[in-house]
Amino acid sequence: MNGIYLLKRLATSFAAFCIAVTIMFALLRLMPGDYITMYLESIYRYAPPDVVETFNRVYGLDRPILEQYFTYLLDAFRGNWGYSFIYKVPVLTVIGEKLVWTLIILLPATILATLAGIGIGAYSGWRRGSKADVGLLNGMIFIRAIPSYWLALMILIIFAYYLNLFPLGGYVDTSALATGIDPFDVANHAVLPILTLFLFSVTGTYYLMRNSMLMTAGEDYITTARAKGLDELTILRKHALKNAMLPMVTLITLECAGMITGSIFVETIFSWPGLGMLTYKALAARDLPLLQGILLIDTLFVIAANIAADLIYPLVDPRVQVGDDA
Amino acid sequence: MPRKKVILAASFGIVFAYCAVALLAPVIAPYDPHAITGAPLSPPDKDHLLGTNDLAQDVFSGLIWGTRATLLLGFIGAAIAVAIGTAAGIVSGYYGGLIDEAVMRLLDVAMTIPIFPLLLILTTFFRPGIYLIAVLMGLLGSFQGVRVIRSQVLSLAVADFVVGTRALGAGDGYIMARHILPGVLPLAGVKFVTSAQHFMLIGIGLGFLGITDPSVVDWGQMINRASQNGAMVLGLWWWLIPPGLAVTLISLALAWLGYACEDEINPRLRVMRI
Repeated sequence: MNGIYLLKRLATSFAAFCIAVTIMFALLRLMPGDYITMYLESIYRYAPPDVVETFNRVYGLDRPILEQYFTYLLDAFRGNWGYSFIYKVPVLTVIGEKLVWTLIILLPATILATLAGIGIGAYSGWRRGSKADVGLLNGMIFIRAIPSYWLALMILIIFAYYLNLFPLGGYVDTSALATGIDPFDVANHAVLPILTLFLFSVTGTYYLMRNSMLMTAGEDYITTARAKGLDELTILRKHALKNAMLPMVTLITLECAGMITGSIFVETIFSWPGLGMLTYKALAARDLPLLQGILLIDTLFVIAANIAADLIYPLVDPRVQVGDDA
Repeated sequence: MPRKKVILAASFGIVFAYCAVALLAPVIAPYDPHAITGAPLSPPDKDHLLGTNDLAQDVFSGLIWGTRATLLLGFIGAAIAVAIGTAAGIVSGYYGGLIDEAVMRLLDVAMTIPIFPLLLILTTFFRPGIYLIAVLMGLLGSFQGVRVIRSQVLSLAVADFVVGTRALGAGDGYIMARHILPGVLPLAGVKFVTSAQHFMLIGIGLGFLGITDPSVVDWGQMINRASQNGAMVLGLWWWLIPPGLAVTLISLALAWLGYACEDEINPRLRVMRI
């Protein structure tokens, strides 16, 4: 792997994380009034000046703003992301608890959507202009245009409420209080959120793959393969598919940010106790530290996805040294 | 291709119809959307075309007034995003060198920070109002268009007519405004349509999550209120379904418009016929 490229990627990730932290710092300082005066006044209607001064000295709030900033930045790297207003515990603890639940629905949805999107997209692009292609394309555009929150509500109404196939929300049955959490029960609750996220994500992957396939299908080596008398299936499998899939690695990581957005709505609607639902609760309570922690973890998530794409790319395409502007 | 023309015409028709409804909202809507009109939760009848909600407000009037918020969010946001994105793309691609490198690295960093959570924080922090949300979406969304515009400008900047104009003594500003900009306008137009669609969904999503100006009627708040108050379980379809359908329809129209335009200007995709 190209050293300079790796360095660039690390610098970019580092800068992104720092900017996210800086935004947090700026917002906290921009809040009207200072924390301790507001807090004391809300309890005692009076803030004794010596108490305020002691508080500011103990917590370093009387230091120069630049020193405060660097302390804050350093703390963020050490994993000290402040305390949540509503949960009264460190932000990172709350996030750690919820992250697992988000991954339980996010990972299967992403994997299924990627596989299905690539498969259907490749088929659609290969058979371009056919009835199947036109139907698939229009169907996908249609699904993509439906807002994710609306899609989630409709799926909930149809599959959970009217057909009664799956639970209406939550992550376990109330019987779990007595018997403990049953993985099958959780899976049963996860089906609809996963389905919604899948539908939300598959359209994007489909569209990208179809475009990629359209480009590939017009290449000369495909014509050459056909001229050699290879049958269509072999051309598709051995020549077209492999090449069309190359740009997908980078494009799919771009979809990651979209999945985060989707999960906020989906989890809220299905009462799934993950990061998305946590975001909704933090918004309702105006819990700024918690919201900022969520922004940081989402940033780390995107960074991880980018690095994963960098590592996967050379495996998929041995010709490409990462760092060539591919 | 008559079928494509039909879809295009329908999309244009829907967008224009929404604009007309937004402009004529006071004329069309039978009631003030905030006013109490008759009994709460009454099903549709001739006085209330789509019934009333739990506060006895007329759902149809809310739907009509909500068009304004939706269009403002989408079009203001998209205008800002496209203007900034296009300007940055043109400057970056035209000058190249250090400026280009700086813009690209900045873009790498900006694209790593997920926009939606950031938008949530900023709108929560500042007092959420419809214009503020539109401007914030425009600013945060402007990064996405830069790369596409830039790559187009890269090839335009070395074209003969640009070199010729420069030989005639034209300044950089003049060349960028009169010769480069027209070349990227179609791309910017497509970006405008897709951004408007995207921002409408996001803006209404914010309303759904409860961060908007409560004095403005928007469909997100309507959906949120209906779903939070059991409209689904009680079978109050007239309260829950119309705002969602309204968003989906305008979103679909803009999506089709966007794909049709993209198809038109991108020759490599022209093989696909919608």
